[in-house]
Amino acid sequence: MNRRTFLTTALVGTGALALGVNLYHPPQVRVSASLDQSHRLLFSLLVPVFLDGALPHTQSLRVAAQNRTLDAIVATMDLLPEESRDELEQLLELLESRLGLLLLTGNMTPLLMRQPQELAAMLEAWRTSFLDLMVTAYQGLRELVLASYYSCPEHWTRLNYEKPRLFN
Amino acid sequence: MAIEDPIVTGLANGWKHIDASQLTQDQTLEADVVIVGSGAGGGVAAEIMTEAGLSVIIVEGGPLKSSESFNMEERRAYPNLYQQAASMKTKDKAIGIFQGRAVGGSTTINWTTSIRTPENALAFWAEHKSVEGLSREALTPWFEKMEQRLSITEWPFEPNRNNMAIKQGCEALGWDYTVIKRNVAGCWNTGYCGMGCPVNAKQSMLVTTIPAALDRGATLVSRAKVSKIEHHNDKVYALKAQTLTESLRPSGVQLMLKAKHFILSAGAIHTPALMMRSRLPDPQKLLGKRTFLHPTVLSGALFNDAINGHSGAPQSIYSDQFVWQDGADGELGYKLEVPPIHPVLIASKSLGYGQSHAELMAQFNQLQVTIALMRDGYHADSPGGQVQLTDKGYTLDYPLTDAFWRAARRAFASMAELQFAAGAQKVLPMSEGMPFLPSWQAAKEAIADMTLAPFKTVVASAHVMGGCPLGEDKQMAMVDSRGRSHYLENLSVMDGSLFPTSLGANPQLSIYGITARNASLLAEELGGA
Repeated sequence: MNRRTFLTTALVGTGALALGVNLYHPPQVRVSASLDQSHRLLFSLLVPVFLDGALPHTQSLRVAAQNRTLDAIVATMDLLPEESRDELEQLLELLESRLGLLLLTGNMTPLLMRQPQELAAMLEAWRTSFLDLMVTAYQGLRELVLASYYSCPEHWTRLNYEKPRLFN
Repeated sequence: MAIEDPIVTGLANGWKHIDASQLTQDQTLEADVVIVGSGAGGGVAAEIMTEAGLSVIIVEGGPLKSSESFNMEERRAYPNLYQQAASMKTKDKAIGIFQGRAVGGSTTINWTTSIRTPENALAFWAEHKSVEGLSREALTPWFEKMEQRLSITEWPFEPNRNNMAIKQGCEALGWDYTVIKRNVAGCWNTGYCGMGCPVNAKQSMLVTTIPAALDRGATLVSRAKVSKIEHHNDKVYALKAQTLTESLRPSGVQLMLKAKHFILSAGAIHTPALMMRSRLPDPQKLLGKRTFLHPTVLSGALFNDAINGHSGAPQSIYSDQFVWQDGADGELGYKLEVPPIHPVLIASKSLGYGQSHAELMAQFNQLQVTIALMRDGYHADSPGGQVQLTDKGYTLDYPLTDAFWRAARRAFASMAELQFAAGAQKVLPMSEGMPFLPSWQAAKEAIADMTLAPFKTVVASAHVMGGCPLGEDKQMAMVDSRGRSHYLENLSVMDGSLFPTSLGANPQLSIYGITARNASLLAEELGGA
């Protein structure tokens, strides 16, 4: 194992610990914990909270919509300018480390061990925080998740929206 | 039905187009005039220069796209056609900014609203900003010329329901309103102008002046970012540009662009940023300062009937009832307009998440949205923002002042009053902590007490102006009233960065008209036909 691989593994290992991946790994999330450079596991926890009420009720459709949104989030992140992407990466890495969790949420409990209502409470605390840093963290994640979800035409049915068909 | 794509046809006919992402070796290109940027300023300048018989190179940082690739989906349009994939924000992230980045600049993705520079703005510039020769009388022939060139006429069809709400509200309240003039020819009225016109009806620079310049032999270099203005004593002798990959990241090849005269039309962020990065003379430290945004607040309203704000001409009615109410340098005025309503735009510019957000989105087709654009840059407490260079590029620092927030509160009240007068069932000012308000009386009380603050209140912009002001007095202007640099004899600026204040109106026709005048004067001086 070269040094770079070792460092990456160590970092992902820390992240996995903070998220609780060693305790529980949801089967619908197509992610290899050791190679989760695009933070799919973290977003798989946040997506259902941000999109509560928007995701389909049928389980199979719901899983498909979540996975589609995770793909879209990865694609969206890739389009961000370098500075924005760096800032977002910093935030995500904090959320994947126990110390970062303590700083951002006041406790070290891995996100995977928190109930959806606890994750919602975490977002709500950021949203209403008196610290601009917390509010921008909330808004950055909010915009990324919602924009990625609603950018997919397959998620427009519930809006009764579709683009015109001009040429067929 | 097949429609002709003028870009595809032009390229087949031998236009000189260099997609810099395909270059593997450094190159030097030379012409009479090099123009940086291909939006409202660069496009008009390119046509006028080539008409005068001058050879022209147009350099554009974004890609050359055309109707073939405009598929009416935000997921394709934003990364392809907008600065920073439409995620651009001010330094503190309190204001989101939409700006174009493709051949045609913001004209490729704007909503077609075409308004002559308000007389109040021109009078203020003449009186307070040492601007000469830009009175309404002097500019009228240039506005007429560009209106004719770009098919700018009053929208003759019934407004869509989203715009109709402004009309009905204004009629009920006795407020001023105006039918908007649009730059379209053969418009299909689909409502997707913001994602690039898929039928080439919008008379943007992409299908008008740029093709005309290319037909006359101009060279277009796309995906090339001008990184430095090389200058010595009082002359520019070259521009350096970096080629960009298809995903618009530097690809390592350098271009050297030489000319007799150089025109900067890169927009109100990039023009000043490029001049600052190149350390151009700026003894009064004016560059990048006084950058204006028309910072905009939003009010949503639910109606019983279908609004379908995604369908039909995006903007066709505005109200100037409150723009100049307290005089030019009095309390900030605001223009009332509507935006088109598409999923990503509304999902990101509304409030909250989870159940409450899902409920709002489920009523997407009943949602009417009104926006209020603040006229910044006139009041003493409205100095605008500042473009600053960073290690990786630039940032725009734009603190929102007390004068802005006072105007925002009045604007939220005006928008709610208008929406209820037009028949809204409930109104939602887009600011954290506000619920749907059930009546005008309830809204009036809630808005008087609502908390307004950066990050809590949704603030957006699509009109970046200023940062390289024009005028005769070097204490307050970087270029003269013809757009010629006060310090470098063969450098001109022709874009929205020239404006010494915001306009109080959507800027595209102001840029067209003032550029047409200044580019024509320059072409004469350069010895064009």
